[in-house]
Amino acid sequence: MEFRFSQKEEKLREDVRNFARAETAGREIVSGMEEESRDEDWGFAMSMSKKLAQKGWLTMAWPKEYGGQGASFFEQHVYIDEASYWGIPGTTMGVSGIGWVGPSLMIFGSEEQRKKYLPSIAAGEPDGVWCTGYSEPNAGSDVANIQTNAIREGDHYILNGQKIWTSCAHRARWCWLAARTDPNASKKQHGISLIILDMKSPGITIKPIVNYAGIHIFNELFFDNVKVPVMNLVGTENRGWYHLMQSLAFERHSFAPQFYGKGRRALEFMVKFCNEIRYNGKPLAVNAVTRHKLAERAIELETLKMFGYEITWKMSKGLIPVYEAARNKAYCDFVMQRLAITGTEIIGAYSQVDINYKWSKLMANFTRLYMMFPGLALAGGTGEVQKNIVGQFKLGLPRAY
Amino acid sequence: MDFDLNEQQNMLKTMAHDFLINECPKTRVRELEKDAKGYDTSIWSKMVELGWLGLIFPEQYNGTGADFLDLVVLMEEMGRNILPGPFFSTVALCALPILKFGTETQRRKYLVPIADGKNIWSLALSEKSGKFEVSDINTVASFDDKHYVINGEKWFVPFAHVADYLIVACRTGRLKSADEGITLLIVRTKSRGVTINVIPSIAGDGLCRVRFKNVKAGRLDVLGKVGKGWKVINYLAQRATVLKCAEVSGACQAVLDMTQAYAKDRKQFDKPIGAFMAIQHKLVDMLTDVEGLQYMVYYSAWLLSTGAKADMYVSMAKAKANDVYQRVCIDGIKIHGAIGFTLDHDIGCYFRRVKAAEFVLGDTDMHLDKVAAGIGL
Repeated sequence: MEFRFSQKEEKLREDVRNFARAETAGREIVSGMEEESRDEDWGFAMSMSKKLAQKGWLTMAWPKEYGGQGASFFEQHVYIDEASYWGIPGTTMGVSGIGWVGPSLMIFGSEEQRKKYLPSIAAGEPDGVWCTGYSEPNAGSDVANIQTNAIREGDHYILNGQKIWTSCAHRARWCWLAARTDPNASKKQHGISLIILDMKSPGITIKPIVNYAGIHIFNELFFDNVKVPVMNLVGTENRGWYHLMQSLAFERHSFAPQFYGKGRRALEFMVKFCNEIRYNGKPLAVNAVTRHKLAERAIELETLKMFGYEITWKMSKGLIPVYEAARNKAYCDFVMQRLAITGTEIIGAYSQVDINYKWSKLMANFTRLYMMFPGLALAGGTGEVQKNIVGQFKLGLPRAY
Repeated sequence: MDFDLNEQQNMLKTMAHDFLINECPKTRVRELEKDAKGYDTSIWSKMVELGWLGLIFPEQYNGTGADFLDLVVLMEEMGRNILPGPFFSTVALCALPILKFGTETQRRKYLVPIADGKNIWSLALSEKSGKFEVSDINTVASFDDKHYVINGEKWFVPFAHVADYLIVACRTGRLKSADEGITLLIVRTKSRGVTINVIPSIAGDGLCRVRFKNVKAGRLDVLGKVGKGWKVINYLAQRATVLKCAEVSGACQAVLDMTQAYAKDRKQFDKPIGAFMAIQHKLVDMLTDVEGLQYMVYYSAWLLSTGAKADMYVSMAKAKANDVYQRVCIDGIKIHGAIGFTLDHDIGCYFRRVKAAEFVLGDTDMHLDKVAAGIGL
């Protein structure tokens, strides 16, 4: 039992902190996926991606030959935690590329694909921005139900169909796409393939979906006879389902340090707020109900921290966490929901207001968190899907769906 | 960073697990709940032979020289199986502070018989409020040139009725600040003026009311410094709280395991009930609670073992332990259905102990308040 980070890892935390202080001064808003929404936010995020790449942090755990630093999982953990704490935008570049396209290509992509696609992600280039096309109108939690067809004609696939809830499609250079390459397969999980789609291909229509908070993250994608070279197939044709499961696991690995970092910052803001704001002549901080609510949130965040450590530790031992990642995803949703609700409750009526007021940036964080958490909770699979995974793979229970 | 137990801890864990399953089945736990002593003297003797009583004492006090994390692992196993008895009161509440604050004479005199299984100890701390607050300590020890004379009443003193010695938290001076004016006195339970009554409790776990009427203690019976007893209490409270949390963590794992097994076995509508999402997701929530608690306990125990400031994390672990133990038992019973509501089912043995653990060394509200202070409120 030893929960200390190494000196090297602590030094890295220090470096990320200094970088964040210098580069994000005055931008107190905890970043989320909304950096994809407004052009100026996106521009700033991409400029930060570039700088993070120059620091060697953006894809630090990747091997050097693909633009990484060969850093340890613990170093990556510290970087994600600290960068999330400071809300450094651009750490994910539209999520997909760094999160799972890169790691997946390193496992089941061809050497040619690795050489072609990984360096631009690692360099923080606009060319390294990816989106992911899994969900369809009739393939949500039941993602094996996808209907988008990629029918082979000579050395091309002809793509027809529709994707939905595609984050970042309006910014992406490439799409990590799941499509049906064998419509006559005996099981719906068979006959699916993973394909790299050039978003500049003719025949693609992108239609924005604006969420209830007024933020543009999602899109619908329509494919009308889009030609994709067969060399863009990733892994084995018709085995895409299994590749996809692996990619989804990568997606869930970094949730805990990411949300722990964000949550830690949000809680510190709240503590500061409660120590300064007075009600009936006393600071909010002496109110027992307020104290207990924030104490409970702190305990939940520290539990999340430990869950994050556990996964990183297991990965560092060469294990592939499966149920742990699903558990963490479901727990993150729970923690963020409670934090958003507590934060807005304590701020009170002002949590609805977006005005030029001393606390408005802090309050906007909670308002933003509050408006975003129901949506974020769906990313990477719903809480119910996560719990099904844990039930089956950890508790050994029968399939419940 | 490393979540693994070391080789010695793994051996201890396996040995404790096997020993407790064989020696203390739930039929015996139920009998002991009704037993006058409340513990099994033959199991106790075997625990002495295994070296558990002196596990973390240096060899010069007949101990085995293991460390605090080893004791955490052992307590986790005791909680998993349920081991009724005065182990926690003797080792966690009394031996740890004697080891740290006792004079060399006191250590020799008291620790050796503890390691040899000859003496049982307990801590007389809480009073009528049942809370863990310095301001609630009203038992007075006045000094008459030769002796301290103790008058007052202590409540919820674990296993005082079988103890040989008590450490009694007394007020010896006017309260200046929280840690001034409290003195800890070592008192033989056979001393004139000590009256001990067992409180009938849900778990039948030997909680006692102890009355002191003109009970005498000498200068050499002071543990730590006169007037500085609260410092000793804080020291022992941190460690004993983590050990109590480890016990609860083990108990929660046992409740989860039996509920998981039941959900696989019990069939309704032609399926194991664990195949129904409503049941399965409840089990997953239990797992998340149980694993989270275990890691929080390990983290706070590890922090303490490094000598780092750990009070906030200790309070986090206790607040979480209180919360998780209760929820896991309630959900576990619900998943079992009516069978879980019977005296014969093991899950009830755990549920009967939820409140026993909850109020040891501070309730949830007290610990949440400490966490609030820890995060800067």
